[in-house]
Amino acid sequence: MIDCNHYRRALLSEPRTADPEMLAHREICAECAAFTERLGRFETRLASALRLSLPAKPAANVVPLRNAAAGRSHRGRWFALAASVLVASVAAAVLWLAGPRSSLADAVVAHMAGEPQAWSSQGPVPAERLSEAIGDAKMRLRPDAGVVSYAASCEFRGFHVPHLVVQDASGPVTVMVLVHETARSPMDFDEQGYRGSIVPVPGHGAIAVLTRNRTLNGAEVDRIAARVLGAIQWTNAPSASH
Amino acid sequence: MRAQVGENQKRARFQALCESLRPDLLRFALWLSRDRTVAEDVVQETLLRAWKAQDALQDDKAAKPWFLTIIRREYARTFERKRLPTVDLDDLVASEEPSLGAADQQDLEEMRLAIFKLPDEYREPLVLQVLMGCTTAEIAEQLNLSTPAVLTRLFRARRQLRGLCGEDTTLDPEE
Repeated sequence: MIDCNHYRRALLSEPRTADPEMLAHREICAECAAFTERLGRFETRLASALRLSLPAKPAANVVPLRNAAAGRSHRGRWFALAASVLVASVAAAVLWLAGPRSSLADAVVAHMAGEPQAWSSQGPVPAERLSEAIGDAKMRLRPDAGVVSYAASCEFRGFHVPHLVVQDASGPVTVMVLVHETARSPMDFDEQGYRGSIVPVPGHGAIAVLTRNRTLNGAEVDRIAARVLGAIQWTNAPSASH
Repeated sequence: MRAQVGENQKRARFQALCESLRPDLLRFALWLSRDRTVAEDVVQETLLRAWKAQDALQDDKAAKPWFLTIIRREYARTFERKRLPTVDLDDLVASEEPSLGAADQQDLEEMRLAIFKLPDEYREPLVLQVLMGCTTAEIAEQLNLSTPAVLTRLFRARRQLRGLCGEDTTLDPEE
């Protein structure tokens, strides 16, 4: 049986550990459960901080189509290849957009198509409906989350998950609480008219945040995601399985 | 003709792979170098080397560690070629987010400054774990360290970072 010092040391090394001994200790030690919860919030901020916003991609940002002639200068080589790289970038983008993809982000975006009415709802939804939608997600939204104008419990990849629309200053924001999913690192996406972010929540799976506001940049979407996540109160101890 | 089609498909596949990995590679290089220009150059050179050696990559699933190995070597080469200039961390972090100003963004800005202040040997495994999603075994392989050594560095990285960020560390374990 591990002690509190061992548990916390191991958690600070691997916050996502799924070690059964760690889980067993967490279940019998309220202080370590609270420590886990606080570290989980710290990890979410850490992941956001590490995901530096990047400038718009330059044209010559990927590999050349053919090797440069020997003897050219490094910079000259890239200028010479810029045109072919640009063409290749466009081709790759088309292939990337058209190709088969099955990521969590794809599934979330695909789910949006099934409930277009969610975006236009004005709300606020009654507390009972919100409670039903949240179901077994073991969470609640603090009032500062904003007006919840849509709430449903949706089937998503084999589980029922809360599908909420929160009114933000930038417009409606869809939030899907994906406690059954595992995301190893934060991921931004921009697909089919939706901009959003999948944010891992240690011990609670992940949340997906989407907007249709095309004027928002990645940093602003991240800000909204961080705000939404900050407004979620988890009502159970984090699971070690995520 | 068939050979040309195959070559084009190969190029497109590798191009797509580079496109998808480039943002995180650039972030990784930036956390390593603390300098955006150096990071851009290192990533460009990494992609060029990767392109030349793409036949060595048999499985796309192994792409991330493969690219990480190349980028770390390229960064080491850059460091050998020239002494990197000292960077003003405040300027660097402020330049990252033009929209900084909101309270939560201020919080992230402070955390980024704290991350940059971590010693390199602690910052790199932390970035590999949290940003790049590497397992402890993968980090150990990249850094040529034992698993216990990686765990110790990750522990110390978080412990120091939490202190730098003003977190409540009363329940944090001692060394």
